Order: sequence, then C-alpha cells, then structure tokens
Amino acid sequence: MKYIYSLLALLILISCAEKEEVAKSWQLSKTIPITGVNAIGMAITSEGIWLSDGDHNRLVLINDEGKTIKTIDSLDRPMHIDAEGEMLYVPQYGNDEVSVFVDGEKKTLVLLDSLDAPAGVSTYFKEKAIADFYNNRILYSTDGKEFISFGKEGKATGDFYYPTDVQITESHIWVADAYNNRIQVFDKKGTFLKVIGVDQKMNAATGIFVNPTEVFVTDFENDRVLIFNHEGVLQQELSKGVEKPIEVIQHQGHLFVSNYRRSELLVFDWKAIPEGENHQEDTHDHDHDH
Amino acid sequence: MKKIIVIVFAVLMAIPAVQAQKSYDQFEVQVDGLGCPFCAYGLEKKFKEFKGIKKVKIDIETGDFSFTYPSEKALTIEAVEEQVKKAGYTPMSGRVTRADGTVEEMGGVKEAIASDAEIVTESTFVAGNCEMCQARIVKASTDVFGVSTAVWNKDTKLLEVSYDKKATTLDAVEKAVAKAGHDTKNHQAKNGTYKSLPGCCAYERVEY
Repeated sequence: MKYIYSLLALLILISCAEKEEVAKSWQLSKTIPITGVNAIGMAITSEGIWLSDGDHNRLVLINDEGKTIKTIDSLDRPMHIDAEGEMLYVPQYGNDEVSVFVDGEKKTLVLLDSLDAPAGVSTYFKEKAIADFYNNRILYSTDGKEFISFGKEGKATGDFYYPTDVQITESHIWVADAYNNRIQVFDKKGTFLKVIGVDQKMNAATGIFVNPTEVFVTDFENDRVLIFNHEGVLQQELSKGVEKPIEVIQHQGHLFVSNYRRSELLVFDWKAIPEGENHQEDTHDHDHDH
Repeated sequence: MKKIIVIVFAVLMAIPAVQAQKSYDQFEVQVDGLGCPFCAYGLEKKFKEFKGIKKVKIDIETGDFSFTYPSEKALTIEAVEEQVKKAGYTPMSGRVTRADGTVEEMGGVKEAIASDAEIVTESTFVAGNCEMCQARIVKASTDVFGVSTAVWNKDTKLLEVSYDKKATTLDAVEKAVAKAGHDTKNHQAKNGTYKSLPGCCAYERVEY
C-alpha cells in the first residue's frame, strides 16, 4: 500500500512538473485580409472591429473575416481611435478635431486648447487622453472636459518627439513617443515615471497597447512588435508576418496587429510553443483577460 | 431712383459671379518616400495652411500630390518644388497646368552620361532611418551630374553609387547627400537642414 501511495505521489509530481514545463508565447494564428483598407487604428465595440483607414479618410467596421460591414466616410485622416462602450473616439489629424460617434451621430470633443494633428486618443471610463503630434504633448482629462497638458519637444525624459499613440490605464498614462523610439509612462498628474524600450533600437514606436501585465509596441520601420512587462523588461518579439505594423490591440484573448501597407490584420494567440522553437524569452506571466 | 436701385442690385449680383470666375492653376507633384502616414499627412497639412490653396490631395499609395492655387498669384513650379523639399519630402517630378491651358514641367532634362564614361561603383556610409530618407538620399545622389545609379540600404546604411569618374567623385556625391540633410562618412549635414527633416527621418547624428 505504501508503494502505491509513493507511486501516486511520484506520478502527481511528474505531472505537475510537466505542466510547468509547457512554455507559451504569442504566436501567429491567422492573417485577415482587409482589402482596400490601410488601418492605422483599431477599436472594438459590440458591433465588431472598427478600423481607421487614414489613407482613405474613413472608418471601416469589419467582420471576423475582414469583410466591410459599414463605413463612416468624409473624415480627415482618422488615426489611432478608441472606444468606450458604443462611443467611438476619432482623432482627425487633418482638421485637428477629436470626433465622437455614437449611434451614427457625430459630435466633437470640445477642447479649450487647439490641437495640431491629433494622432491618438484613449478613453478610460470618464478619463480621456490625446496625443497631440505636432505640439509634442499629451492632453489628459479626468472628466473629458477639463484637460491638463504635459510634455514639450525634446529628447529628455518627459519630452516628446512626435507622440503618436496614448493609453490610459488604472494608474498610468502610457505614451508611444514615436520618433524618440521609446515608450514613456506618466502618472495622472503628468509626472514622468519611467521610460521603456530605449535599449531596443526601435525605429518609430507608432502604436501601443497595455494590458494588466504586458506592454505591446509596434516598431514600424523594423517590422516587429515588441512585448515588455510593466517594468520594461522585454518578454517577446513578434516578427513573423509583421510588416510596417502601426497598431496593436488585444481583444478576447487575441492580439490583433495591423500591417499598415499590406492591408491585413494579423491575429496572435497565447499558446504552447511548438517543439524545437526557442522559447527562452517567451515564457512569462501573462494576462489573457483585458 | 428705380434705375439706381436696379443698377446697385445688378452690381451686387455681379460681385459673387466675378469671384466665382476666379481662375486656378492645377499643380501635380509626384512625391517619393511616403512610407510613414504621420509624415505623409503632415505634407498635406502644411500645404493646407497656404492662403488661397484649394483641393489639396495626397494619395499615400501612389505619391500623387495635387492642389489648385489662384492663377493671379503666379506660383511657380520651382517654388512648389522648394516648398515640398522644405517640408522634408522628395519631389520626383511635377507639373503645373495654368488656367489658360499652358503646361510647365518641373526640372530640366538630366544630362546623359557620356558615351566614353568610366563607370565605377563605390559604397559609403549615409545615416538615415526610413523610406523617406531613402528617397531623399537616392535623389540627391542621382541629381549629381555623372551619377548613373544610386541605391541606399535602410538596414546597412550603405549607399552604393555608380558614377562616371571623369565627371564626378564619391566625395561630391557625399556632399550633395549631406546638403540634403543626411550625415555621410565624411560630410555632416547642417543642423538647420537636419532639423527640418520630418520626424521619422530624425536619425542618430554621426559623431566625427
């Protein structure tokens, strides 16, 4: 009997050890063609995935196969969009407006300050943030009405050299400081906290997405997406199928990357690394739910 | 009195008609290196700020950039070429169709390489980042008399240039590239020119 217990314990131990050894990483699952759409931004509503097609001055709603379901036309270079419920926030680079679309109606986000080429917007409950490209600053508001501004043109920490995307999380504001080739993190008073990615030789950090454990950055000219933890340690580099990536978001466990010029979305999933592939850098804590 | 009212009314009606007849010249420029949408849209935005400009349109995929401008301002194609360059872009060709139908082309015909040319191919380092840099570097190189081809590799930063050694030198090519805003192995671009490059072209400066 003692032997049976020992054997059982041994089997359990082996089984646990095997489980721990299953290394996972983000892996390319499929490519969705979005013919005729050069997506710069992505946002999710209950209707599906909205894409901002800056080259063609419109928003495009697609289904899971990439087919166009609906469009919103006559925009002026829509960029990194965001959604809150059914409300779509659309920064328009060409006319310096941030428009809000809900139930087919268009409103304009009222700002006391004028923008110069808004390139990205983020919404987090009532909070709003705007990446103001040519003004080299971020506008942030706790209520969507009164905005504070931080940043100026430069290379020092806290400065920007053309910010293209921004995301608000529970405690922080994350900025894709595009042509300084880095990510910068601020508190909600606009105080600089940390910089991420300076050692990665990025060439245009154009898009950012942050989940509770990871920071995803599109490295536009180097054809890759870099994944860091919140401390700024590189976890994984996605390059398979990636070409001129400009936007990345996570939705229902899937990671979507927009290949800007190739008119396609790449879908990555968190799964076991196939045998024989190097996964030394790929095993890390990961949050599936966003 | 009735006559005066009729005349005044007629004059008032005529003003908008005269304004509506205002004529415009049509400009079309082929721009290379519009790889980054943020910078490409910036070109469009900068031109929109010109007083009197209308119908500004840029096709990112083809590089076709067009607009109309009041004929009375007599804007030259050379001024447009200069403005496009100032904005950091590379005009490859262009033309203006005046309101009266006459057409003016951008630039002259490049002098052909001599038949007894001694073509050599050499490489040199040129700093840059992106497709826009690539277009600018290649154009600056091939604009040098005697250069037949130029290819710049974004990853290696090497410019490979074939030229007639009787007509020019690699040093002359480097100087032309530096003048366009890019540090080379032996020549540094002026700070002002470097700073006027679009954001995506802000490469790491070379230390000499």
